[in-house]
Amino acid sequence: MSDYLIGVLSNIGMIAFLALSAYVLLVTGSISFGQQAYFAISAYGSGIATAMWGWPLWLGMLWGAALAGLAAALVAVPTARLHGLYFAVATLAFAEMVRLLLQMLTWQIDVDGTLIGPMGSEGFREIRYIYAHDISAVQFMLLIYGLLGLVVGGLTLMERTRLGLALRMIGEDEIPAEALGVNVAACKIFAAALSGIIAGIGGALYAHLITYIEPALFNVMLGVHGLAYGLIGGLGTAVGPLLGVVLDIGFLESVRAFAGYRMIVFGGLVALLLIVRPRGLLDEVTVHRIVRRLIRSDHVAH
Amino acid sequence: MLALEGLTKHFGGVQALQDLNLKVSKGSIMGLIGPNGSGKSTTVNLICGVFGITRGRILFDGEDISRVPTHLRLSQGIARTFQNIRLFGQLTVWQNLWVAQNAPEQKHGEPFLRRWFGGSRRAQAQVQGLLEFAGLAHKAQEQASNLSFGEQRRLELARALASQPKLLLLDEPAAGMNMEEINDLKQRVLALRAEGKTILLVEHVMELVMGVTDQIAVLDFGRKIAQGSPAEVQQNPQVREAYLGTQAR
Ligand SMILES: Nc1ncnc2c1ncn2[C@@H]1O[C@H](COP(=O)(O)OP(=O)(O)O)[C@@H](O)[C@H]1O
Ligand SMILES: [Mg+2]
Repeated sequence: MSDYLIGVLSNIGMIAFLALSAYVLLVTGSISFGQQAYFAISAYGSGIATAMWGWPLWLGMLWGAALAGLAAALVAVPTARLHGLYFAVATLAFAEMVRLLLQMLTWQIDVDGTLIGPMGSEGFREIRYIYAHDISAVQFMLLIYGLLGLVVGGLTLMERTRLGLALRMIGEDEIPAEALGVNVAACKIFAAALSGIIAGIGGALYAHLITYIEPALFNVMLGVHGLAYGLIGGLGTAVGPLLGVVLDIGFLESVRAFAGYRMIVFGGLVALLLIVRPRGLLDEVTVHRIVRRLIRSDHVAH
Repeated sequence: MLALEGLTKHFGGVQALQDLNLKVSKGSIMGLIGPNGSGKSTTVNLICGVFGITRGRILFDGEDISRVPTHLRLSQGIARTFQNIRLFGQLTVWQNLWVAQNAPEQKHGEPFLRRWFGGSRRAQAQVQGLLEFAGLAHKAQEQASNLSFGEQRRLELARALASQPKLLLLDEPAAGMNMEEINDLKQRVLALRAEGKTILLVEHVMELVMGVTDQIAVLDFGRKIAQGSPAEVQQNPQVREAYLGTQAR
């Protein structure tokens, strides 16, 4: 496998976490423009843990994702009652606040003779765990896809439980959901925490793969992309957002013909899909049809 | 079973409901009628907690439930249907019923996996029974949004029954139905009554209200203007003027 291909695949994998985190909220009926904040919180948190404190990677990632999940849950407490545009603006405001705080965060410590740590808007260099431990690009890519498989599998299973259905019920119509005994506020906080953790896993992987992060990376465009992937790929299954990422990074970004026009093509694609397929390519109707067909062919096979 | 005491709801300046006193006794069917905008749906929404109350109390089985959080009212034994059908269109018919069961598995100590993924045997059997009640057994795996209007109404009624409620609030269940469907609904309501369910029936369609209720309360501009047996209410001149008058012509 060429380095270029590994790079593209790794990128797709990492951004997929961001798309999945936005997806969890979209399914619950909330449009968040702030998932990049949790990506950032975990990127910084895990980077600090491995590069400054010398923690092992798994623990640093766990810590970063936990921080992101906690932050998301805390944001959800006051915003759970907001809808539509109000929720979108609140999440965007929080994400911008996080970015500005990271620009002010300067905290370096001496690690084996070099000063390491975040330097405000100049960023945070030398998150060198995978190089220091001789983890190859392929190995790291496998780690990304292993975790991605776990998250997609976990979400797919969850969607078949009462809890998973409760999230979709809230997304469709909160009032009957509540009348049927769903604790809407608690479910929304749960969904937010889950989305924070998922974004956090992606952020931690990202920081360690590129070894250098700066606040400007985590701007609103990152969040908009994460959101758009679910809207393009579809909200009927957790595979939908992955399809969105593959279409954008795997196709638009890689095809030379689109060079320079990518954002225009991407924006046009999003606008077009929102009109003709408001819930994406793999929307609920399509997924339901596919599942029924699979079940039927399963019956035939037996 | 249900007692509303001085129930009042204001939306800003709109006095949607004024000082409503109403008792519904166990096993009976109370009709609630009145012109559009007279506060019928508001009454239902207050009982199941969609809106907070402005003044007054709601007693259920002798307990004040006015401050019980909305999502807990189902487990108290209160279920409802909506005037404008509110099913979960993306979910299948089966799922719509399964999620409405008020988590029976938790109570029966089933193993975790079964509890969370297909429901307990008992839950599945109950969903099957509801599907048959609604005449939708052959459409169990259909998405609810694909059902016809009449099927959606039946599914919503079955969904309200899934939690085995003590009190059923039906908000204009016959709206938009043809005579055949109304007769079918009438039989279902009578069957529920025979099972001993307590029902508050909000309705416009007189054939239904007059045929199945024990008592009828009449609202006009948020106030109760009459209450009595169907025959008494039909004779009441105030009611005829406020409401029946337009239909009697
Ligand atoms: N959510 C709401 N916000 C403001 N006003 C409302 C709301 N719901 C109902 N109302 C008003 O309360 C009054 C009673 O409405 P409603 O209970 O829906 O009447 P109906 O008897 O037709 O069911 C109407 O004037 C209506 O406009
Ligand atoms: Mg009404």
